[in-house]
Parts: sequence; C-alpha cells; structure tokens
Amino acid sequence: MLLGSPTLALVVLALPAASFLLIGLIRPLRRRGRGAAAVSIAAMGAALAVAVAMWQRARPVLDGPPPNPSATWSWLPADGGPMATVGVMVDGLPLAMCVLVTFISFLVQVYSYAYLHDEPAPSLGRYYAYQSLFAFSMLGLVLAPGFLQMFVFWELVGLCSYLLIGFWYDRPSAARAAVKAFWITKLGDLGFVAGIAMLWAATGTFDFWTLFGMVDAGTLAAVAGLPTIMFLIYLGAVGKSAQFPLHVWLPDAMEGPTPVSALIHAATMVTAGVYMVARAFPLFALAPDVLTLVAWVGAGTALLAATMACVEADIKRVLAYSTVSQLGYMMAAAGAGDPQASVSHLLTHGVFKALLFLGAGVVIHVFHTNDMFRMGGLFGRLPWTGVAFLVATLALAGIPPFPGFFSKEAILGAVLDGGFTGPFVLLAVTSFLTAFYMFRAVFLVFFGRPQAHADAHVPLAMDGVCRLLAAVTVIYGLVLAFRAHHGEAPAWLPWASMLVAVAGIALAWAMYQRGAIEPARLASALAPVDFMARRRYGLDALYAGLYRGVLLALSALVGWVDRYLVDGVLNVLSAASLRAGDTLRRLQTGQPQDYVYGVAFGVLLLLVWAHVGSR
Amino acid sequence: MTAEVVGFWLVGAVLVVGSLGVVLSRNLFHAAVLYLPIALVATGAIFWLLESPFLFGVQLLLYAGGVVTIVVFAIMLTERLVGASIRQSSRFVFNGAVLAAAVFVGVTGFVVQRAVPSAPPPPAGEQMVLLGRALVGPFGVALQLLAVLLVVALLGALYFARTED
Amino acid sequence: MPLQAYLVLAALVFAIGLFGVLTRRNAVGILLGIELMLNAVNINLVSFARFRADVGGLVFTMFTIAITVAEVAVGLAIIIAIFRARRTIEADHLDLLRG
Repeated sequence: MLLGSPTLALVVLALPAASFLLIGLIRPLRRRGRGAAAVSIAAMGAALAVAVAMWQRARPVLDGPPPNPSATWSWLPADGGPMATVGVMVDGLPLAMCVLVTFISFLVQVYSYAYLHDEPAPSLGRYYAYQSLFAFSMLGLVLAPGFLQMFVFWELVGLCSYLLIGFWYDRPSAARAAVKAFWITKLGDLGFVAGIAMLWAATGTFDFWTLFGMVDAGTLAAVAGLPTIMFLIYLGAVGKSAQFPLHVWLPDAMEGPTPVSALIHAATMVTAGVYMVARAFPLFALAPDVLTLVAWVGAGTALLAATMACVEADIKRVLAYSTVSQLGYMMAAAGAGDPQASVSHLLTHGVFKALLFLGAGVVIHVFHTNDMFRMGGLFGRLPWTGVAFLVATLALAGIPPFPGFFSKEAILGAVLDGGFTGPFVLLAVTSFLTAFYMFRAVFLVFFGRPQAHADAHVPLAMDGVCRLLAAVTVIYGLVLAFRAHHGEAPAWLPWASMLVAVAGIALAWAMYQRGAIEPARLASALAPVDFMARRRYGLDALYAGLYRGVLLALSALVGWVDRYLVDGVLNVLSAASLRAGDTLRRLQTGQPQDYVYGVAFGVLLLLVWAHVGSR
Repeated sequence: MTAEVVGFWLVGAVLVVGSLGVVLSRNLFHAAVLYLPIALVATGAIFWLLESPFLFGVQLLLYAGGVVTIVVFAIMLTERLVGASIRQSSRFVFNGAVLAAAVFVGVTGFVVQRAVPSAPPPPAGEQMVLLGRALVGPFGVALQLLAVLLVVALLGALYFARTED
Repeated sequence: MPLQAYLVLAALVFAIGLFGVLTRRNAVGILLGIELMLNAVNINLVSFARFRADVGGLVFTMFTIAITVAEVAVGLAIIIAIFRARRTIEADHLDLLRG
C-alpha cells in the first residue's frame, strides 16, 4: 500500500479553503471578479502542485503489517475517547483522487475564466467562491478517514452542486434543476445517514481504519443486520452517483454552466458514490447480496441511460446520460467484487469526460446552441478541437490505445469473473450503444454540412485546456497500456469489446454520415424502446407527480389544521370572551336602583353567611 | 300591660303605617308632607319611650322640621306643579318587596336568636349631663369634625344648587 | 318591652325604607326611602343606649341625625342640578352609567 504525507494532504485541503474564505469574506475582492478568479486559480494550481508532489513522494509500504494511514484529531468529545474525529487518510486511493480533483478543478477554473467572459464581475466572483468551496469539499470527502467526516463533506458537495447548477438563478429552469438535484440526492442521503448511524450504533466507530481492522478480526461480520446497514449506505451512492432510480437529476443538472458540468457532473462529485463504495469495500464484501444488487443496478442503469442518450438532440444531455451510463459501469465493477477496476475507470473517465464536456463547451460557444441537429462541419473550421473531441470519444467508446479501453475491459473482465453473466450482457450491449451515440454526436457536430452562423473564434483558455486534456488522455492511455495488468480476463474479451465498439461506430457512420439508414426508420423499428427512451421511461413524470401530490396533500392538511384547529381554537376563545362580555354587560344598566339591588343582595348574602357561620 | 307596652304597640303601629305611606303613596307631596312627618314624629315618640326626651326634641326639630322643609322645596323645584299632578309609579314592586322582606327576615332571625337581657339596667346619671360631658369629652374631636362636615355640606349644596350665571 | 321588640321594629322600618328605595321612580322618592332607613338605624342605636346604659348610643344618634340633615341638603341640591340639566329626575332616565 502507498502511504502519503498527512501534512501535505492538509495543505492541499487548506489551499482551496483559504481561497474560498478570502473570496467569500472580502467583498471588494469578490466584486472585482477577475481578482477572485486569480486567487482561486492560483490556490488551485498550488493545490495541484502539492497533490502531485504528495503522490510522487508517497512511498509504498512493502513489508510488515500496514500502518494506519490516517491522521486524526478529536472532534466530538465523549467518555472513553472521542466520539468522532476529523483528519486525513492518505493511502493510495485518496492520493489518486486528490490528483484527479485538483487537476480537473484547476483546468476547469482556467477554462471558466474564458467561458464566463461575459458574466458581470460580482457574479464571476461568486462563481469562483463556489468553485473554491467545491474543491475544498470534494478534497475533504476523498481524504476523509471516517464515515462522519465523509458525510459532512458529502453534504457540502451536494450544497455546492446546488449552488453551481443554479448559478444563473434567475433562470427558472436552472433554479428548478438545482432544487431537483438537491431533493433527489437528499433521498439517497437519508439512507446514507441512517446506515452510518446504525453502523455506529453497532460498532461504536466511524473510522475506516478501525472498521477495516474489525473486518479482518472477524468481529464486523458478526454484526446483526449488516446487509441492511450496507444497503442503506449504498443508497447514498445511488443518489449521488445517479443510479437508477435516482438518476433523474443528472440530465437536468446540465442547466448549469458547462465547466461546472465538466467538473462536478463528470469527474468529481458524481464519482463520490463510486469512491465511497470503493473506500468501504471491505465492509461491502461482508454483504454479498448487497454487492449483487449493486452490480445489477449498475449494469441496468448503464443500459437505460445509453438508450436515452441515443435519442437526445442536446449535446450536453447526451454527455449527461453518458455519465450516468459510465457510472453504472463503475458500480457494476464494484458490485462484481473488483473495486480497483471501478476506480481505474473512475480516473480515466474523469479525464476524458471532462474533456468531452469542455469540448462541448467550445462547440456550444461556436454555434450558440446546444442542439446537435443545428450544428455541422466544425472539423474544417476547428480541426484541433475536433481532434481533441475525437480523442475523448474514442476513449469513451473503448478503442485502444486510449485509456477508456483498458479500464472498460477491466470492468468487463471483473464482471465476467464474478459470475455476473446477466450484467455482463447488459454492459456489452451498452458498449455498443455507447460507441454508437458518441459517434452520432461526433458526426452530427463535426462533419456534415457546415452551418451558416458559426463564431469560429475560440478563446485561448478554452482551446488550450482542451488540447492539454487531450494530450493527457493520450499519455494516460499509453501508461495504462504498458502497465502490468492483472490478466485474469479471458483472451477473447479485448477483441470482443473492440469489435462491439467498432460495430457501434459503423452504425453511427452509416446512419449519420452516409445517410444509408434512415434514423426515423430505425426508430420506428425499435418503436417501444424509442418511445420509452424519449419519455425518459416516465420516471421524471412519476417523481414530479409524487412530489406535487405529496406536497400538495401535506400542505392542504397542514392548512386545514392551521385554519380550523389552531385558528379555530383562538376564534372560539375570543368569541366566547366577547359573548361573555356582552352578557355581563347587561348587568350594568346604569339605573341607580339596580345597583342598590346589588348592594341589598350582597347584604343578604352576608346575613346568610353569618347565619350559617354562627351555627 | 304597662303603659310602656301599650305605648310601644301604639307608636309602633303609627310608625309602620307612616312608613308604608311614605313608600306606597302615589302622590309625592302626600308622601313627603303627610306620611313622612308622621313617621318621623312616631320615631321621636319611640325615643321618648326609650327615656331619651332630648332626642325626641332633636328629632322633631331637625327631622320633622328641617328635612321635611328641604324635601318640600326640592319637590317644588323639580316638578311642574301647575297642570300635571305629582304622580308616581313604581317599578318592579314585586322584586323589591321580596328583597326587602328577605332582608327583614334575615335581620330578625339574628335578633331573635340572642339571649334576652332581663331588664334594662338603671341609668348611670342625669342623661343630659352625661350626654354633654360625652360630647365635649371623648367625642370632642368627632363633634368638631361634624361641624366641619356641616360647613362643607353647606358649601356643597350651595355650589350644586347655584344658577349658572 | 324587651330589646328585641325595638330591634324588630327598627328592622321593619328599615325593610320598608329599602323597599321604597328599590321601587320609587322619582329621585326625591328614593331619598325619602333613605330617610326611613336612617330613622330605623337611629331607633336601633337609642334602644341599645337604653338597654346598656351607654350614652355613646345617644351621641351616635345625634351625629347621625346631623349628618343626615347635611346629606339631605346636598342630595337635594344634586337633584335640583340634575333637573336643571336634564329636565327630569326619574331614576329610569338617569342611566349614563349604562355599560
């Protein structure tokens, strides 16, 4: 195992936090926009440098029992040791994630500077504040040594997602999308927090290292209801990583700026669920039924999302569904028992999906529209952008020597190895569809007839970042190609996956480049699938209806209670007082003799009392 | 049947009749000028029977003389004598009767419970002398205050009854 | 005659006076009722003075008579003032204190 330096990890964590505090608290800085951008980008660049240094300097521990890779400080005091701790855990997995997060964050922030060029300065400052906060939250999540800290940063990441999706908050669709993302992930988080609490109640700790020790000692397996607990914890991942049925928020989250989509809905935030499953895998391994569920849900989600991507016209939505699909891949690998394959795909996907989104940002900037059917012929105008996009698409489709091929093959191998033939078939079909819809997008955007209005001037920041990412993708692929791979997969697998991908590309070429097959005819041939896919399998409508129904019913009930019970009580009381007052008022007639009556009556009472008393 | 007993019953009857006349008479003038003096003089007679001739005199002078005169003046000033008669009607006679009867019964109930002192003890001395000594002695301050009260009452009456100039 | 006889007589006159106060409409009529009540009180006081050989009762009676006279004067002055203001002294019409 790899062991990094906790001090450096804290520095990496502190840099974006400091940037956020500076931008957040110093109002003139934030209002200046460009100043805030400079602070944030500088902090992020420094964090990237420190993360890379940390990774380079990490030394593998080869012999002896592995030491505790976490450094923690007491947080919630209690008798007999702190109830909860905060700190950093610096073994191999968080180190790799740190590099990914800081790298993509840095690139996205640089890219945003050009993409949001037209944004008013205070708004830009707000954007960079959110970006810094997000980087801090995501780093805190991956470095978390225990479930509690992870959950805190999990929620913080969700908050940043809400803030960034709804960045242009005066657009109703963006505001709605932000709320929807928040609600749907919250559903998963309910399960997550319940699972964490139950785990703590059963074991008395949140700390990963302690839990791993309990797994090794065999005491954790004896915990009653462990499958239930792990299922609840998995629910958090379902929400955050957009598994079926909580995937509906991710396509709508495209309302946010494109760099935001590249960062948090491709590379980092949505992968938090996968990361969590990989991190806590020793615990999940004790609940094989849950893992089976994870694998099936992952594979199912992958196929479902791929079908929906095939009928989308909005380029960002295609990429969003693609992300959902790839997340399904990662989860399927974890469910099959190979978290390393899952993480490997997480890392490669993070790089090339970010590139795809940023490239899409360039495309949108050029054509001033998201609709692919109104684009075309961009390759002639911007060849290098086309090349970068193509690199990423090939990586996603799974063509060697690009990195996606290796990580996808590892996943397919793991799934097959685990004996999950059903999910394997689903994933294989998904590979075909992935290649198909991605190349459909490529052919529609970059080839075909050039459109009349196209602003072919691309700012350097955007273009440069894309080219850099493309280069990194290629290098990454080559590194993976040369690295020794645990080759348990059958020999026919790499060829089969390549064949499937090429078949998908061929179909897309035939339909969209050559026009040999009419898309409409194919759609009518596959009418039921096409119908459901276009309507997103009715899930959105279901959620909306439930939300509205439940909320309205609850509001009506509460309103009724408020009006008739709460107000009713008050009204009854006041009416009773008024009526009593009116009745008593009749006593005051104003006639002097009536008052004498009163006096005489009182005297009578006194006499009676004296009579009774004297007996 | 001593003279006192006969006198008591006689005077008592007159007193009661006079009182009833005061409260029941329809004509206010009759009530004030005829029946009230009858009641007041009868009360004076009671005082005589109770061996306080001085008070009998005071009663006649102040009450039967003064009060009646004032009341007559008041009636004159507040009723239109010319033309309309000074008629009265009463309100809620039954209620009033019941309540008054109840108070009477209550007080009488107390009174008859007590033990009867057998005979009145002899007076300690000449009544006038005792009275005079008491007035300037233990009740001296009270006497002065009474004088102040009378002056204040006089002023008050003057103030209230003045005409607006 | 025993003490109780005088006391009962006084109580009777008091009750009659109370009846007058309660039922008379004219304000002067009410005042006459008050007179009767005060009279009854005086009878009470003098009876006790006699049957206890205490001259204090007589003193008290004298005070009462004097104060009553003053009260009647002031009361009738008030009635005259009311009459001037409202042209009526029927108690039924004097209900400004009505709630």
